[in-house]
Amino acid sequence: MDTAFSDRRRRDLLLAAVFVVIAALLPLFVKDVYIQNIMVLTLMYAALSQSWNILSGYCGQISLGHALYFGLGAYTTSLLFMKFGVLPWFGMLGGGLISAVIAMALGYPCFRLRGHYFVIATIVIAETALLLFQNWDWAGAALGIDIPVHGDSWLKFQFARSKLPYFYFALVLACIAWFVTWWLEDSKWGYWWRAVKDNPDAAESLGVVVFNSKMGAAAVSAFLTAIGGSFYAQFVSYIDPESVMGFQFSLLMALPAVLGGIGTLWGPVLGAVILIPLTELTRSFIGGSGRGVDLIVYGSLIVVISLARPEGLVGLFSPRRREIVR
Amino acid sequence: MTALLETKGIWKRFGGLIANSDVSISIGRGEIVGLIGPNGAGKSTLFNLIAGVYAPTQGSIVFDGEDVTPMTAAERCERGVGRTFQVVKSFETMTVIDNVIVGALIRTTVMREARRKAYEVLEFCGLAPRANILASQLIPSEKRRLEVARALATEPKLLLLDEVLTGLTPIEAQTGVELVRKARAAGVTVLMVEHVMEIVMPLVDRAIVLDLGKVLVEGKPTDVVRNPKVISAYLGDRHAVGA
Repeated sequence: MDTAFSDRRRRDLLLAAVFVVIAALLPLFVKDVYIQNIMVLTLMYAALSQSWNILSGYCGQISLGHALYFGLGAYTTSLLFMKFGVLPWFGMLGGGLISAVIAMALGYPCFRLRGHYFVIATIVIAETALLLFQNWDWAGAALGIDIPVHGDSWLKFQFARSKLPYFYFALVLACIAWFVTWWLEDSKWGYWWRAVKDNPDAAESLGVVVFNSKMGAAAVSAFLTAIGGSFYAQFVSYIDPESVMGFQFSLLMALPAVLGGIGTLWGPVLGAVILIPLTELTRSFIGGSGRGVDLIVYGSLIVVISLARPEGLVGLFSPRRREIVR
Repeated sequence: MTALLETKGIWKRFGGLIANSDVSISIGRGEIVGLIGPNGAGKSTLFNLIAGVYAPTQGSIVFDGEDVTPMTAAERCERGVGRTFQVVKSFETMTVIDNVIVGALIRTTVMREARRKAYEVLEFCGLAPRANILASQLIPSEKRRLEVARALATEPKLLLLDEVLTGLTPIEAQTGVELVRKARAAGVTVLMVEHVMEIVMPLVDRAIVLDLGKVLVEGKPTDVVRNPKVISAYLGDRHAVGA
């Protein structure tokens, strides 16, 4: 049975490699800039949702305030660059570290809350941060920060002419988030997180330090989310509080994982690949007059999924698991 | 040889209710001790005080020569206290073997080692054929055994069993009894809370009877069941012939 387990781990890794190669070759066939843009966003949300999944899926601490870490990443990178001339590459790491520290500082009081109360706290904290940033003059307040673009530069991670560098960076980001999850899944942390999610009392009795597990998950999750935020700031080269810290980002990080399969390795990727293109396309083709068609699509998808396959779409691809359940 | 576990004058109050008053018990290494008593006697409270779920209002708990009174449940687990829950608390979305791996991970962080160990424990508990199904798919008696398996994977010196035999069919209970004997043979000391006297009495070396939060009687199971105080606590004074 031990070999069956490591076989599955290896198969996951192999599958991921195949997907990466396919994704990397896509731009050869897709020249349309609009579609390329959607591909970048899809990969970015895959990475973000994968990061969200670590805290909320594996460890079971549902956060609807991850926009905070996304925004912190975007702001840290942009502010460090604009005010101190720090290159975005370092800004990214800085944003990640700051977010991880803040996630733990917030976790200290919040992880005493259970269930819905925790979810509410995450929403309130993210909304508070949004208001703070809207009124913080040094950080551009509600007007935000315009990052000047002076032609293509790998050093400054700016590309005016082509989307492709962003595409490949987003691909690397998605790979990192996936690989970190893959690696943590079969580690002490991964097991501790799932135990905490399923039953904190039983976990504690088996030597799991529940509080520390949650803190660890929050730090890793916030770090990776902030890297995504940094990337987004570079990608759009203009940020303001609403456009990087708005509640919709918290939702957009959670939904792919929920759709694909919460607390699973492949759920976030699968969810993002379906959800992001779908919403972007509905927004541009059906949208126009009625903003909110994309939201209707989200809503209906979630209803259909929760009725038909509550464990997420990944359930469709694991017949073995279904046999077991029966 | 010193006792493995000693509670020294433990009191536990919940508001105005005194659940345990001045309980001093001692468990020797390699013993199987039964903790019995009528409903509301304070068995579960004492059990949870030893496991580290509650802190005593007064008194101290010494485990393996160390004062563990201020320690959390997780810290006590690390020192060798393993427990099961009366209402089973399996990790339902995880497979049976993954449930046990969580326990094994307190002794090793090498996953391959933890997995091997978990499989061994499952074989020991007769759950190996069920290793790869979800814990939620087990039948109730198997879930009880999974509780024991998980606790054993932490390599406890003291195993606390909270009504693991209650509510099982006679055959299932017999399997449970054999499992407890096997655990003791492997060097584990056992303290078990039980309701069902006829199953526990042949199994335990010593029985401690709690009533109204106090130790009423302790001794050999055969003596304890004949003790008038015990009979009166369980059945009322009328039945305590010769009291």
